[in-house]
Amino acid sequence: MILRLVIADGRQTPAVAESVELSADGTLTGWRSVSPAGVGWFTGKLPAPELTALQALIEAVTPTSPPHPVPRPGAAEEVLELPATGPVSIAGLTPASAPAPTPASAPADADSLDGGVDGAGAWARLAEASRQLIERLTDFPRAAVAVDVASPTTARLVHRGTDPLRLDLGTVAVRVTAWRGYYEPAGDWTGPVTGPAEVEAGPGWTYDLPIERAPDDTTVHLAVNFAVLSGSTKVPVQARFTPVPK
Amino acid sequence: MSDIAAQRVLKPQDTPDVNTLGPDPRILLAAGNAAMARMLPGAPAGAALGELGQFAGNAQVARFVGQPPAPGGGAPPAPGGGVTSGAHGDSVQDLQVELSRLQASAAPLTEDGKYGPLTEAAVRNFQTGAGIVPVTGVADPVTKAQIDAAFAALPAPVRVVLASGATGTDVGFAQQKLNAVGASPRLIINAIFDGPMLGAVIAYEIAALHRFPTATVDAAMWTALDSGVKGGFLAPEGAGGTQVEQNTTSGTANSLGTQVAGTSLHPFTGVGGLTGGPAVHELQQKLNTAGASPALKDDGAFGPKTLAALRAFQTGRVPPLPATGTADKATWDALDVASPGSLTGAVDRQWTEVVGGATYSMVGAEGSHYSWEIQKTRMLVTAKVTFVGPPPPGAWFGYVPATWNQYQGVDAASGNSLPIDFQMTSGGGGDANQVKVLTGSGRANAGEWYLADPDAKNTIPHEFGHLIGLQDEYQLHPGDYVRVTGHEPPVGDTTGPAGAPAPATAPTPATIATQLQTAMVARSSAGALAATVTAGVRPGAFAQRIVQEYATLATTTVPAVPGVVGPPSVPGKPAVTLTGDLLFDLNAALPDDTDRYETIQVLSYSSGSVMGDQSRVSDPHDHGAQPRHLGEFMAILGRALGGTWEAKRR
Ligand SMILES: [Zn+2]
Repeated sequence: MILRLVIADGRQTPAVAESVELSADGTLTGWRSVSPAGVGWFTGKLPAPELTALQALIEAVTPTSPPHPVPRPGAAEEVLELPATGPVSIAGLTPASAPAPTPASAPADADSLDGGVDGAGAWARLAEASRQLIERLTDFPRAAVAVDVASPTTARLVHRGTDPLRLDLGTVAVRVTAWRGYYEPAGDWTGPVTGPAEVEAGPGWTYDLPIERAPDDTTVHLAVNFAVLSGSTKVPVQARFTPVPK
Repeated sequence: MSDIAAQRVLKPQDTPDVNTLGPDPRILLAAGNAAMARMLPGAPAGAALGELGQFAGNAQVARFVGQPPAPGGGAPPAPGGGVTSGAHGDSVQDLQVELSRLQASAAPLTEDGKYGPLTEAAVRNFQTGAGIVPVTGVADPVTKAQIDAAFAALPAPVRVVLASGATGTDVGFAQQKLNAVGASPRLIINAIFDGPMLGAVIAYEIAALHRFPTATVDAAMWTALDSGVKGGFLAPEGAGGTQVEQNTTSGTANSLGTQVAGTSLHPFTGVGGLTGGPAVHELQQKLNTAGASPALKDDGAFGPKTLAALRAFQTGRVPPLPATGTADKATWDALDVASPGSLTGAVDRQWTEVVGGATYSMVGAEGSHYSWEIQKTRMLVTAKVTFVGPPPPGAWFGYVPATWNQYQGVDAASGNSLPIDFQMTSGGGGDANQVKVLTGSGRANAGEWYLADPDAKNTIPHEFGHLIGLQDEYQLHPGDYVRVTGHEPPVGDTTGPAGAPAPATAPTPATIATQLQTAMVARSSAGALAATVTAGVRPGAFAQRIVQEYATLATTTVPAVPGVVGPPSVPGKPAVTLTGDLLFDLNAALPDDTDRYETIQVLSYSSGSVMGDQSRVSDPHDHGAQPRHLGEFMAILGRALGGTWEAKRR
């Protein structure tokens, strides 16, 4: 492991609990609980240029002391780990929030954000790149489930990746949000669906969920809550379908 | 194809009067306790009281003596004609309070000041019960008079005499009221007549009741406390008789985040700062008031004349300020003294908050930027936003006034009133807030909003609140809760888990505190949840005893733990030295997951207002935008126009 990022937010239901881990050889692994690109396990290999760029960002922060950003109200927990540093909270650390590099004449303050040569800026750049890595991860589904709209009255869970996974569809909550024009709300429906308590989903697997028909001139978004079974653990997840409105 | 349950719900869009009663309702009663006796009839006399004061702790006595009388009921004048469907305002809100308490409504009404179908139905129900014909659903003068009379005739709460060692809800209410009249340090609302409460009772007896201490809360003391402090009792509401705790008013609410020490509320203006807009208007107005000669044109543009006047002001100070031509903190401080009021102002508020034991902030470039203008017919408060990313949906701009434009400033002495309008605008510059617009949906925070947020109608007004400096009102420590809401933490649950099979085996607060520490050492939020929520701990007095017991435990250091990819994904945590403050420690030791959130929720306090966590806490009585959220603008009106301004529903 040369980098691990976990983003967590327990105020949401289901909780945001997303992770990505990068190995020295470019192997990317992780888990997504709440995502429009599918929920479940993801594994892939990062192309060499992307890996090299990340390695450079990691090297840039290594000689600097970690920052202590204070996140904005409502921000999720974001913990970045590097072998050299252990867990570092990066919530609130963005290129915009990081102060400009301290002029050489200014006194150094070991505890402050700058912590060395442009330390805050380097950490902010690594933070941004790490967050993007969690999104990049979803390009490599291994055992995941996504949702899309199969017909005006049908939402469809779809397996993604190469490996099977077990799902609990005993209590599924479907939320349909219709949008007209540029994100003008055009209706909002929720409905519970009762399906099988345990089902194995492998390549080619789909599962249809009935939904309320939205007006024809709208774009439909879906949020489907169910659970993925991992050993004896039931992990609550939310698959989303959020296309840009026509 | 799977089964689908029949109860698909079409969510109501912006329906006033929605009953949002949660499992733990609270009320801010606007018109209860009509007879307000003066709480503190003058200063105590005699040296004997001074000696007794030493017994009770001088600090407490001093606080009580200095305490001003509680404000009166402040009931607005009765409406001249009938109040009917579609009407709105403070009079409708008072009507809703009365109808709920008279159990004329089906359930406790959301006190939103909007005369909607539920309010109308309650009026019909009252008219039917009172034999008023015809039954119209209109609160005409006859109906209103009967409602008022019936409300006034509601029995006063029955109080029991409390002595040291007593427990129960009334002890909690007495603690609330002692806090409200100035107990120092504040009492923890634990519903136990303990040592600190004993000190506060004795001090109050000496300083306010002017009597030799009995160390009891007897009938006379209850009368004094109840007449001096509103709320603090349980009352049935709605036809179902839901027992609702009536919030205890305490102090003057300050709903703003805690200003970072040493910062100015004014943006740098002039050379090297803002050279246009509301900040320059304010500068020009204040320079004029301070005697700029010749007087500046109030055009909001920082030109050579304004520069010259600013430099003249700076050099004219004793001792002089550097003639930088920049209105920095020192210059604005001097200007505020020379010219307290202005008709335009720009605010750059740097602030922090503690929510769920974690510290959040809006500082530096991410401070809250807003401006205000007192116009002929209204006061307009603007937060300008630079939206980064895709353009914001037009609907967002409408959600702000829909929630926030409910109030007017009223100066009772002069009879003047001025609507307070809020707007969010899109624009750039050094006095704009930065908000990143993200595609898809997700939980917004102050700096990141989602295009397809299905709850944008509630989310945007909440985040707008942050842009005008307001802090969150959920998962607060008791002191922050009373500061931001202006009422005491609710007494809530006093007994704790019943235990199984018999109460004798119920876990004590000390046991639960130890279990929580064990869970933290194990980094187990599931363990923390099991010890509290799952065991039956609910918010309130019993939960606060856990907080107290936890503070007495020996602290320990929990080693760092690496993150786990999962599932479930768990963030790594650095080593943490537990502090004894339960909320801080739960936040620091446990991962940010649902179990931790629910655990902290029962051990802290949350409001149901627009600045609360509306997805978790509903409250018909502390709901939406509240007058306290406009406190800063009432003070500004006072400085600019004189008088004492209060936010009232319009
Ligand atoms: Zn917030």
